[in-house]
Amino acid sequence: MFDELSLNLLDIGMNSFAAGATVLRITVLEDVRRDWFIVRLRDDGRGMDEETLRRVLTKNASTKVGRKKQIGLGLALLRQTSEMCGGAFHIHSTTGKGTGVTASMRFSHVDRPPLGDLNATILALCVAGPDVDVRLHYCSNGEAFQFSSQEGKHHEPRRTQETQGKGAAASRAA
Amino acid sequence: MNLEELKKLKEKAQRQVALREGQKKYRVVISMGTSGIAAGAREIMKTMLDEIEKRGLDDVEVRVTGEHGLEDVEPVVRIEEAGGEETTYARLDIEKARKIVSEHLEKGHKVDTLAVGKQKKTE
Repeated sequence: MFDELSLNLLDIGMNSFAAGATVLRITVLEDVRRDWFIVRLRDDGRGMDEETLRRVLTKNASTKVGRKKQIGLGLALLRQTSEMCGGAFHIHSTTGKGTGVTASMRFSHVDRPPLGDLNATILALCVAGPDVDVRLHYCSNGEAFQFSSQEGKHHEPRRTQETQGKGAAASRAA
Repeated sequence: MNLEELKKLKEKAQRQVALREGQKKYRVVISMGTSGIAAGAREIMKTMLDEIEKRGLDDVEVRVTGEHGLEDVEPVVRIEEAGGEETTYARLDIEKARKIVSEHLEKGHKVDTLAVGKQKKTE
């Protein structure tokens, strides 16, 4: 269904926003030498209980209630892709704490979809969740970088608040 | 794939998000659920952001939603106007998305051939 793994990442990232996440961590690891391709998503959203977790891994399950047509294929799709490509799929979720998903694949597996346009996925996530800190840890064959959508954005006001707080305390003390 | 490119995209997203301040003439809502993404919603969004920026349309804000309930006709984009009028465009591709920006958002002419369903008017 998805011909790029970056589309899976966008799809599952959108779930994190729906779960009220404030931080979404995405890791992409490409290791040709060890023949692994691993993607991981971790959020601090509201998480799922065991029953829901079981449901989302089966086809046509959705956490949206009261819909005539339930979609919710996203996690099942990624699981299918990773298992088909010689890897494994893990999901863990704690109610109130968040959800983590890891999918590994053999880098060289013929059926492994390409990563595709990860930039476009990050752009879409930044527009979809402007207040969420979308973090990307990208590591490809030894080259790595980190990205944060909120970097340099919240630091200013926070510092101002602190100074104001101190100022207020100082004036009270005086 | 490199960090500099990503930072530029982040700034692009921030410029777009900054446009959400105050009432805008047009709000573009792109459906980005599983079926929308599978049908190409990410590329539609990117195209529309590029075109909106290229044409300097700063009375337009772009938002993203989950499923619109129109899974069979994705990619779907809804345009909400300040007056309450709504137009839904379906089965989009890159060319059609460009046309919607240049015709509807820039010139104010609805693209009837691409619109679906009843257009909602508040009067």
